This record gives sequence, C-alpha cells and structure tokens, in this order.
Amino acid sequence: MTPNVAAKAVANDGWRAPDGVLFRGECLNKSFGGVHAVRDISLDITQGSVFAIIGPNGAGKSTLLNLMSGIYQPDRGAMRLEGVDLVGLPAYRRVRLGLGRTFQKIRLFKHLTVLENVLAGFHVHHRIPAWQYIVHARVFQRDYARCRDEAMRLLEFVGLTPRAATPAASLAYGEQRMLELARALATAPRLLLIDEPAAGLNAAEVEKLLDRIGRLRARGMTIVVVEHNMDLVMQIADRVLVMDYGQYLFEGSPAEVQASPAVIAAYLGD
Amino acid sequence: MRLALLLAAAAAIAAVPVFFEDSYWRANLTICAINVMLAIGLDFILGYAGQLNLGHSAFYGIGAYASTLLIMKLDTPFWMAFALAMALSGVAGMALSIFAVRLRGHYLAIASLGFAVIVHQVLLNWISVTQGPLGIYAIKPPPAIALPGLPVIAFSNPANMFYLVAGFALLFYLLLDQLARSPIGETLTAIREDEVSAASLGINCAAWKVFAFGVGAAVAGAAGAFYASFVGTLVPDAFIITESFTILAMVILGGMGTLIGPVLGAIVLTILPELLRGFGDLRLVLYGFALMLAVLFMPGGMAQAARLARALCGRVLRAQVPG
Repeated sequence: MTPNVAAKAVANDGWRAPDGVLFRGECLNKSFGGVHAVRDISLDITQGSVFAIIGPNGAGKSTLLNLMSGIYQPDRGAMRLEGVDLVGLPAYRRVRLGLGRTFQKIRLFKHLTVLENVLAGFHVHHRIPAWQYIVHARVFQRDYARCRDEAMRLLEFVGLTPRAATPAASLAYGEQRMLELARALATAPRLLLIDEPAAGLNAAEVEKLLDRIGRLRARGMTIVVVEHNMDLVMQIADRVLVMDYGQYLFEGSPAEVQASPAVIAAYLGD
Repeated sequence: MRLALLLAAAAAIAAVPVFFEDSYWRANLTICAINVMLAIGLDFILGYAGQLNLGHSAFYGIGAYASTLLIMKLDTPFWMAFALAMALSGVAGMALSIFAVRLRGHYLAIASLGFAVIVHQVLLNWISVTQGPLGIYAIKPPPAIALPGLPVIAFSNPANMFYLVAGFALLFYLLLDQLARSPIGETLTAIREDEVSAASLGINCAAWKVFAFGVGAAVAGAAGAFYASFVGTLVPDAFIITESFTILAMVILGGMGTLIGPVLGAIVLTILPELLRGFGDLRLVLYGFALMLAVLFMPGGMAQAARLARALCGRVLRAQVPG
C-alpha cells in the first residue's frame, strides 16, 4: 500500500549469517530507569526451528521479544534478520522483512469482526494501483478476493471459521488467542514471535495450540515462543534460552535445560 | 443495492428544491449540503482513523478564506481557487496531524482545539488581508455554466446552487465510501482500535494519520469554498471553535465510523434548529435537550438505531411467517 521503502532503505550490507541462522542478536541491552531488563543477551535462531525463551517472572523475556519486534530499541547490541540490520528500524518496517508477532496481553481490534481482524493483517501484501482504491476495478477485486480466501483459510487453520462475522470482543479468551495467531500469520512472517501463548488457556486449548505450532514448523516457519509453562516448552522447543534477572542463565536443548542445576535453582528458588 | 441507494440519493437531491420553494428553505438546504461535507470529512478523521480532532472549523475557515482571497485579490478563476483552497486545507490538516503522531486522545483534542483558536484569531486580526471582523462582502457565486444547446446554468439561482453543492457532497461521499470499503478502511480502523497492534501488522500509523487528516481537511476546505460563494459574505466568527463542536455533534449523533450516519446527523442538526424556531427563546434549549437524549439512548448514533430497527423489523416479519 505504502511504497516499499523498507526493502529499499535497508539493503543487505553483505553480512552473511552462519549456515541456517535466520536471526542473530548480539549483546542486547535494555534498561528502563534503573532496571536493567535485558543485559548482554546473545542468541542465534536457526531457520525452521522452534526457539523458546523461558524464565521466572520479570526475567526480561517479554522485553527481549519487544526488542526483536521493534516495540523497543536496544540501548546497546546488534540484531540481524538474515543479512538485514534491525537496530533502529521501527516495528512496522520489520513486518515487511518477515517478522510477525502476537501479544501476551491480547491486543485485538475489538470492534472489528474476526474476519476484519485477519484482513487488516494483509496490509503489507496489497498490490493495488492507487486509483483503484477509488474505482474498485479488476486488480482491486482480484486482490480483495485473494485476501478474503486467504483470511478464511487462516481462520480455518485456527478453528474460527464459524466465528468469522463475530466482533472480536465477543470471542472467548482462548479463541481470542487463536485469532491473534491468525492475524499475525496474515502478514506471512518468516520469523513468528509468540508471547506467552498458553497464558489463560485450558488443557484442550493448549493441546490445539501445540498442534498448530507444530504444523507451522512443518511448513518451514521459524518460531520464537516466550513461555512460562515448562511442560509446553519441553514438548515443542528445539532450543531453549533461559533468562533470569535480565541475564543469560542457560541455553540448550530441552533435555539439557531440565538437567541443568542452575535452571532448577532459578525456578525453585535457592 | 448500493446503486439503488445512490440513485435514490440523486433523486432526493433533484426533488428537494421542488418541494421547498421559498428562498429561506432553499438557503437552508444548501447549508445542509455544506454541513454534510463537513461531517463526512470529520468522520473520516474521527470515526475511521480514530483521531479526536476538534479543529475542523479551522479547515473549513481556511478553505473559505483561501478561495475568496484568491478570487478577489489575485483574480484566480473560481474552480482553480476552489482546488487550491482544498489543497491548502488539506495541507493544514496534514500539518495538524503531526500533533496526532505525538499526541493521543484528550491531548490531541486540546492541541487541535488550540489550532482552531489560532486560525480564528489570525482571521480576526490579520486585518490587512482578511479585513478582520469587518468581513469580506460581495463575494460572487461560482461562474455560470453555459453548455451549448442548453440554457445557461446560473448559480445566483439558489436551486442551481443547491444542486451544485449537493452534487459535490454526493461526490465526496462516494469518494470517502470507496476508500473506506478498500483495504485503506481496514488500515484506518486498525489504527483507531490499537496502534501497537496495527504497527505489528506493518502499518505505518504516522503516515496514515497524515493521510486521514489530509483527506478530511481537504473536504472541509471544499465546504468552506462553497460556503463563501453561497453566502456572499465572510466574517471570522463563522469559523469560531463552537462550529467544530456542531460538526462533532453531527458525527456523533449520526454515528461515528459509518459514513451514512454523519450524513443523517448533518441533515437533522441543520434542519432541527429551523423547525424549532416556533419555540422562540426555548429553541436552543430544546435543541440541546434533544441532543442529550439522543446520545443517551442511542450511543451508536442514528446509524446504529437504523440497524436496530431493521433487525427488529426482520424479527417481527419472521415471526409472522408460519412455520
């Protein structure tokens, strides 16, 4: 819709990630007043993997996610998505590079219908000549039909097809979480950031969520999950980063995390 | 369905001056059409993009004075002055939207109110250009249109002037309606609902606010240009900040975030005070009371009331069908 400035202005500067690394963060730092919410965090996220960030409350997980998605800018550190330097780019420009996200505290467009919420997610994918926004001619109609079909497919994927015409505000809590997922998927992300997806969900809903995340990974999507729920992380993550007090505590496979005395101490309190 | 509504609207515009023959009511009809333009322009900014703009009277005033001064001081042809006035109001709207990028909700309301005060004061005190409170007189109506083979269409005739202004109001309505029904409508309502979420979908909220303000203000500029050429005199007090609140009342009474609502709101709030003239001093008290009741009992405005009525009719009809 708006000219594709993001793609032009942030050309690849020649940096090559090590094989298979989609996202790399180096020495990321963020403070709020006196609180050092994220301190010297580095991470490599492999293409096609599910990467979990865990830690006790206030460990800085959500802040790290907000640094990645561009809601905050880091005080220090570097971030790259493939070859592209992300530092300084506002959130909306990162979407065109393939970064999508959901929110811990649900942020749907409450007064819009379920379908409209998903349709809004296609913002960066419209290819309509400017005049056809006023005279809805062929290209417009085709674009509209394509977005609608795609949106209905996404609603089917998250199981909300019968709710398409319902205002988002009247969905049940679990359904709202699934709608946020569908809306984020509409931007066609290569790297999807999911913030505490299981918060407030019942067992059946968690099961469904795990299944959907698995199916997305099977399609080759790279997913970062910030999560509280250890069981969930152990089931889906390929790699886990454990944070405590804003700092790196441990990184490894789920099995290694479970065996780590440092992690156990942080979780159980010492 | 939409085509039928469009034809009905065009027919209504064509028929209305036939029913209202005296010049007093015809004048009110033209003012009504001008108010429709103001209301849909504000609704685009307020109802769609969700930006609490109380400076709409300023865009209206800028359009009126810009077109008049261009015509009277620089001998600009009317339609060129009209286009320039729209552009200038649009630019003023875009300039004000820079506040909207930094400010939200009540804070933006105060900033835009301040903008309206500034514009009114400039019109009042820049006497060498605007003639201040003395006003500008003898503004000519738009030039007559002479088409070969047809009688000359003179806009000194109030019915013709009404057709012209109402025709433009319909044109702007269609324009905004098409934009609102395109992905731009989704983008603006997304910004209204939640800017952080909108940004997470790749929406550049700042740029789209500039767009909404520019479009809404340009339509108000057109309304101003028509107002000046219709009334024939200009004084700064026609664009005092209370005018912003009147336009706001039209949008809210009609129903924010729909386009047909503010059209109805503008018509009702232009005609109602005239119908209440029989009540003398009580007129504005009744007017205010009606407004309060309306907002209290139909917070979604007339558009919502109409939807409810339609749903109710549907239910009654279904209940009557046996089985």
